[in-house]
Amino acid sequence: MVQTRSLIDENGKRTDGRVIDELRDVKIGVGIIKNADGSAFIEFGKNKIIVAVYGPREVHPKHMALTDKCVLRCRYHMSPFSTDTRKNPAPSRREVEISKVIREALEPAIILEDYPRAAIDVFIEVLEADGGSRCAGIDAASVALADAGINMRDMVSACAAGKVDDKIVLDINDTEDKEGGADMPIAYLPNLNQISLLQLDGILDSTQFNSCIDNAIKGCLKIYEIQRTALMQKYFGNEKEMELKEE
Amino acid sequence: MQEIKRKFVIPGDKIIEGNIRPLGNALKSGDGIIATRIGIAEAGRDGAKVIPLSGVYLPRVNDIVIGKIKDHSSLSWDVDINSCFTAHLPAQDVFGRDFSPARDDMGRQLSTGDVIISRIATFDRTRDPVLSIQDKDLGKIPHGVILKISATRVPRLIGKRGSMIQTIEQATGTRITIGQNGIIVVSGRTDDGLNLAIDAIHMVEEEAHTSNLTQRIKQLLNVQEPTQPESDTKANNQEDDSNNVLNNGNENVEDKEHGLE
Amino acid sequence: MSSTRKSTLIIENLRKQQMKELIASGKRLDGRLFDESRSLNIQVGVIKKANGSAWVKLGNTEVVAGVKVETGEPFEGLENKGALIVSAEVLPTASPFIEPGPPDEETIELARVVDRGIRESEMIDLEKLALVPGKIVYVIFVDCSIINSDGNLFDATSYAAVAALLTAKIPIFEMKDGAVIDTGKTKEAPITTLPISITTVRLGESLLIDPTSEEEACMDSRITVTTNSDKFFTAIQKGSSGFFTLEQIKNATETAKVKGEELRRKFKEMINLGQ
Repeated sequence: MVQTRSLIDENGKRTDGRVIDELRDVKIGVGIIKNADGSAFIEFGKNKIIVAVYGPREVHPKHMALTDKCVLRCRYHMSPFSTDTRKNPAPSRREVEISKVIREALEPAIILEDYPRAAIDVFIEVLEADGGSRCAGIDAASVALADAGINMRDMVSACAAGKVDDKIVLDINDTEDKEGGADMPIAYLPNLNQISLLQLDGILDSTQFNSCIDNAIKGCLKIYEIQRTALMQKYFGNEKEMELKEE
Repeated sequence: MQEIKRKFVIPGDKIIEGNIRPLGNALKSGDGIIATRIGIAEAGRDGAKVIPLSGVYLPRVNDIVIGKIKDHSSLSWDVDINSCFTAHLPAQDVFGRDFSPARDDMGRQLSTGDVIISRIATFDRTRDPVLSIQDKDLGKIPHGVILKISATRVPRLIGKRGSMIQTIEQATGTRITIGQNGIIVVSGRTDDGLNLAIDAIHMVEEEAHTSNLTQRIKQLLNVQEPTQPESDTKANNQEDDSNNVLNNGNENVEDKEHGLE
Repeated sequence: MSSTRKSTLIIENLRKQQMKELIASGKRLDGRLFDESRSLNIQVGVIKKANGSAWVKLGNTEVVAGVKVETGEPFEGLENKGALIVSAEVLPTASPFIEPGPPDEETIELARVVDRGIRESEMIDLEKLALVPGKIVYVIFVDCSIINSDGNLFDATSYAAVAALLTAKIPIFEMKDGAVIDTGKTKEAPITTLPISITTVRLGESLLIDPTSEEEACMDSRITVTTNSDKFFTAIQKGSSGFFTLEQIKNATETAKVKGEELRRKFKEMINLGQ
């Protein structure tokens, strides 16, 4: 992608007012879909994404089941009103590819061998999209999986970095995605220090590439803290309040 | 050596460093043991584990579970036990070894929607759980109010040697049948008793991970605490609200909580 | 081709017994009376990229609707009117029984009934939405995503679609040198009436409004009735395999008028507060 106009002003402010290493506002709610085994809602900048996890549960049809581990099924889907122009509800090629890379980002974290012959379904529904929805989807999915009590080696935190006006910036928004020089989403297992998703869309030389990865990982670590706080609040929130009361 | 008593953990969190044995919902990783689920971590000389606070019920052999009949094939009933697999109750278990589909009417014994309390007779990584209702006190449950809680809260609801559940039953004049899979049936003489028991059950479910839960339940039920010398009362409370808060009453839970071993 | 299917949600006989005993004393499992709806919460303007949106919680049933406005060719035979297209999708997040894939007959019926209730009431004055009559008109898409299902998807989805349309900001388009341009200004949709849908199910001899998924699993039959601000009927759909007596249909339609009017007032209050 070759930029046609400047996206960072003379004060170092980006199109949405952020500086180059600033993350958008992120809020995560846990357990918001009553019927699901685990669920989360994330607001990541203007992105609004809801994730439901059903599992472990029976595989239908039965012949799709694996004897030694569980089947992980992942669907990334956008509601028709989530984008600038209305999107047809039928799955697009982009959604199919994103569903696949998200599944491959989550798989290394889940202990699939603990659930042979079963399935774990992760449904990521984008209600409003504004750049970086696959990362936001992974962040919410990881929280939803933990909420569902599924055995995991680690959480998965995802964030993108990119190149805008020849500078490496953290967390690309929609405009920067469409008009900027490069977009690199990453998914990261924070305790194990493993990368489970890496894509690049754009042009980067070696130095820029290294800087981009470092930046993205820093972003992932910030997201990890937000994921942890959300889970702690839901599960142990009132315990902490009660402890304070009893003191 | 270091002991961990009540550490709140999320997946990936390190519980303890060192060469300790990983027990339920814990994994050896790097130089220590990590948690694989959200819950309360404990570690000592015997090992490190996490008492989970959420998760679908995974079948275990000899568990007593309450299920509902979904359907039947010619040789067994399909039973929903609120788990990730459908369980099967063989017709032979009910009719005897000389069961004949031509002569014995399965639908007459147990029909779709019937609620049964049963034991998991067999289950392993290669097949669906098989149930049995042959033992005493097992079989169809004809009356009562049925409710569902998270299976992870069942040990706390039962309490150490049944203390929590008995407290609720006695205070409300109800009989409470609990399945390890989180399904519960409550029967009682009065509507008030029934509703109070149900409220108590919901309170235990929401606050299972907190300390002093027994006190708050007794308050809810208006149970008078018997007057006792200080030291005895302390020992009592410690027994009920010990650090093994969620493990009480279910001694064989230890190693079986991790996956489907 | 439509065929009878195995039930997905099987209700325990103990639960059915409890339901029966309560119904005999005029109550339901969740403590409601027969003609009582669950709590209704409507938040509008939640999806900023959409021209209008609403997030509805009817008990535990949750639906998000979004309005997107474009321009395009008019429908055949309706050359001087704007186009309105209402669709619905039950997301696989909504319940353990939903499988991702193309919409099944239940979902298609749901979308068409919601569309009918809005279209036949002429809630939107489509004649005011023709840009170049016969050639280019406003096209209003209303898409509903059902997030969590606990019964009565018909009413919840209809409320979401109606609330989204009621509060939508329609972009004002103009023709300039033969091309459509967005002036950047917006206007309210031309609203003529407020259609409200009320769904009733029959369990034995009792008629219950706003069923939960458990009540739907036990129902004998269902009827969805939409009324407009004049309390005229604009769309009716009997659903599920059972039957109604004429008396029961008259009861259900009368209730739909009364409850519809109550809800209409509540709707207006709720939406004014939201704005």
